[in-house]
Amino acid sequence: MEKVNISTILASAIHESKNQVGTLLYQLQTVKESLGIEAPQNRKIIQIEESLKKLNDEWVEYLYLYRLASDGYELHPDTFLMEEFLDDQVFALSPSAIAKDLQLDFECDAKLTGCFDERLMTAVVSTAVYNAFRYAKSKIVLTAFRDETFLIINVEDDGPGFVNDEEHHDALLDDNTGLGLYFAELSANAHTYGETCGYIKKSASRFGGACLSVYLPQTP
Amino acid sequence: MAQQDFSNKKALLIEDMAEARIMQRKMLTDFGFTSIDIAMKAETAIELLRSKSFDVILSDYNLGKGKDGQQLLEEVRHSALIPNTATYLMVTAETSIEMVMGAIEYQPDGYVTKPFSQAMLQRRLNKLLETKERLYKVNLALDNKEYETAISEAKIVMDKYPSLEGKCERIMGDCFLELKEYKKALALFNKTIKSRKMPWALFGKAKSYYLMDELDKAEKLLNQLMLDNRFFVNAYDWLAKVLLKQDKVAEAQSTLIAAITKSPKNILRQMELGRISLLLGDSITAEMAYRKAVFLAKHSCYNTSEVYLKHLESLARIADSGPLIPRQKDNFDSTLKKIHDGFFDEPDSRAKAYEYEMDICIADNEISTAKQIFEVWLSDVGSAAATAPSKQQTDRYSSAFGS
Repeated sequence: MEKVNISTILASAIHESKNQVGTLLYQLQTVKESLGIEAPQNRKIIQIEESLKKLNDEWVEYLYLYRLASDGYELHPDTFLMEEFLDDQVFALSPSAIAKDLQLDFECDAKLTGCFDERLMTAVVSTAVYNAFRYAKSKIVLTAFRDETFLIINVEDDGPGFVNDEEHHDALLDDNTGLGLYFAELSANAHTYGETCGYIKKSASRFGGACLSVYLPQTP
Repeated sequence: MAQQDFSNKKALLIEDMAEARIMQRKMLTDFGFTSIDIAMKAETAIELLRSKSFDVILSDYNLGKGKDGQQLLEEVRHSALIPNTATYLMVTAETSIEMVMGAIEYQPDGYVTKPFSQAMLQRRLNKLLETKERLYKVNLALDNKEYETAISEAKIVMDKYPSLEGKCERIMGDCFLELKEYKKALALFNKTIKSRKMPWALFGKAKSYYLMDELDKAEKLLNQLMLDNRFFVNAYDWLAKVLLKQDKVAEAQSTLIAAITKSPKNILRQMELGRISLLLGDSITAEMAYRKAVFLAKHSCYNTSEVYLKHLESLARIADSGPLIPRQKDNFDSTLKKIHDGFFDEPDSRAKAYEYEMDICIADNEISTAKQIFEVWLSDVGSAAATAPSKQQTDRYSSAFGS
């Protein structure tokens, strides 16, 4: 048999699965509506809905990861008002936060703008937030600010943080493969300005938890 | 963000999958839209866009067998079937987004990725309409082809809303090109490229160089764009234009063939391939391109007599070197019938149709049929239904008729 490229096959399989998740979400929406808002099953349905959404977002992350790693992703940078971008992220992820009794907010200067690939950064922020959902005690805060060379997007939580060694955050649960961080790193790297290229940094958050920072190079 | 009032807005929903269509229609109704038209494919959408005006168009990228959402967008924007003030929102799957974003010349106002919740769609629409409101004066000027006004309005918007800088700069660059102020356009595109390597700015730069007759520079940039972005087929079209200006006709033809392999459903591209092939005397390729154009024309914005006449002409040129084979003859008759049905009241079209029909008959050595056609032609000239044959044509026919 001819030798096949297994990563391409996996990527298209993920794509198929992602589309099926999409169809399931549509069908669930129909069920939800036919039952009405007051239905006793609603809490369970919302749980299923949030899990499916997370699954969908994860598949999207893996597809981007595949393309970034195989050099098949073309960056589409544009200028964004950071307040709007972060508000979008909080809006999209709020239902999941509420379902987990966590507070999700953003802080940023109302005039701050940044230049980056919106789809990629949306996937990076959602990956980081899903990760933070598992460790945060009560809240997660997104922030954005500028220094001379970079736009910095932070995802902070009030969980145990990256304590002892950097594996700790990952080792709490067995199913975490560190793929999310790798994805964030590749995505940051893909953003370049001149010779400067983006990167990620792990540190302690203001609330004693973990802080993931994504550095994206900008026009000085 | 202010909540938009959708109740006085007219929406067109284009989606081929029943389940998604029902869901999206319900969402739009819940947002307050009272006027919602539905199209299941691009061809129906064009008919609707011809007969009605819409404020919001929500179109899926994937529309089954016919045209896709991007081709639909290109056609309706190019032929100004929808004004710049209307909002075009493209629904995509995550994996088709690159193809959509790769098409730089005509972009939708926004994208929404499947699956999306009702709240997400509402938010997207709200934002897009808010942006459209901010750019209203700019877009109005564009629709009226008042490019100087569009530039000055875009400057005002850009100062007030820094996040719209990219959109405004792009509009200004295109306006400078329309005004033939190529140096100003070039300066603007260069300024954008300095801070962000946006494909549209590189494309704008290449167009500026082409229009300034700096063909080598244009060629280099277009080649770069084609390398950077494999979905950006417009770069091929412009490279073909550059090559034509450089008198590299054969290279222009192969560039267009490469573009058509990537995106075969674009009628203007097929027409251009036909035109260049005729220039080269390659009537076989010309006929193939025009035949496809005829096929694509029916439900497009470019359903003009030219498409059909050019197909007949390419067949007539094939006949110059010998009689047509039966399949080609069938093609000729079928396209001729379409001209009879749709364009026979145009005197020029009628004259050209007679001309090509006679060419075919003469190639077949059916002189008496050719003679009859010529008599009908002359009598149509008498009743002003057809344009008169030129002196040259008359001489040619006389010698063919042996009189």
